[in-house]
Amino acid sequence: MAAAPRTPHDRFGLSWRPEYSAAILCHTDEIDLVEIIADNFLRDASAARSLRTLSAQLPLSLHSVSLGLASSLPAEARRLENLARLFDVCAPESWSEHFAFVRAGGHEIGHLAAPPRNDETIDGTIRNIRLAARIVGCAPVLENIATLIRPPLSTYGEWRWMDHILNAASCDLLLDLHNLLANCANCGDDPEQTLRAAPLDRVQTVHLSGGKWINDPRDLKRRHLLDDHLHDVPDSVYALLATLAELCPNPLTVIIERDGNFPAFEIMRDQLRRARNAVASGRARRLQHHRREACLEHC
Amino acid sequence: MSTADIETFLARLYTDADLRARFLESPQEILARESLSAQQRSALAAIDPSELILAADSYRHKRVSRRR
Repeated sequence: MAAAPRTPHDRFGLSWRPEYSAAILCHTDEIDLVEIIADNFLRDASAARSLRTLSAQLPLSLHSVSLGLASSLPAEARRLENLARLFDVCAPESWSEHFAFVRAGGHEIGHLAAPPRNDETIDGTIRNIRLAARIVGCAPVLENIATLIRPPLSTYGEWRWMDHILNAASCDLLLDLHNLLANCANCGDDPEQTLRAAPLDRVQTVHLSGGKWINDPRDLKRRHLLDDHLHDVPDSVYALLATLAELCPNPLTVIIERDGNFPAFEIMRDQLRRARNAVASGRARRLQHHRREACLEHC
Repeated sequence: MSTADIETFLARLYTDADLRARFLESPQEILARESLSAQQRSALAAIDPSELILAADSYRHKRVSRRR
């Protein structure tokens, strides 16, 4: 009989926001780690040092949003060196970036944009990840992004393009389930099937967040799902999380993101509870499948 | 045009409201000024106008909120 799968040690945390700092520190028994937006601490040495104090109380991961690693253009060493300094100061357990470019030819887009998914951006992204790993000291975990515009001149689908990069650069995937949901909603794809086709063996970290529907500026019958991190995690994202926990063999670190329109901390705790329940139900289904298969094998 | 040049063109399109307005009005006219292959020209001309407007709006919103 095949050995029963070990129950992975899944963890649950929040993005660190000043609005919740006191509440998070009062609930360290419920929060396994916090995720820090690195860019908020790069220019403030004393704030960066405060992260060292925080890291004595909770494990940290750094989340960077401005390196623009997913590009045929080279990442800027200066930005990576700044991140490396912060990394040394606060000793996080890991760091992450996005499958996005944020600038090109001197034009700052100001946010995460999807590059053309082709061979040139695969090669460029791999080069950038290797440079980042050399300067920071370890490779980032990379996150799928939400995009309101389908990147032109793409010759790969999103997952295949990411899979090439993750394999060649030996990186793990930070799977943002609301980004997945938003891209599916905006492209007419099925989220559950899309999730099943993702490189799930690479998933270590999960982001949950919310968004809102926005009207199309030209077509009254069309709507788009905007990932804005200003709303609660919707039911459909918890359902995807349960499916992920059923399919993915790796221990998952689940982070709930919130960037504004902050609700009472009790609402965030409730969302953490819902995330734990979703993962528990997915893990239970996984165990059930395994037992059924083992029974069939044995009988 | 290399992909690096395409990324630069997209970054301009996302951040330059005037260029974007002219592109939305007449993509072929704007693209004629760039040294593009026929395939690149047709792929860029096929950008969904609504998607471009919404993406550019969301990037602008992020730039403004970061400056605050």
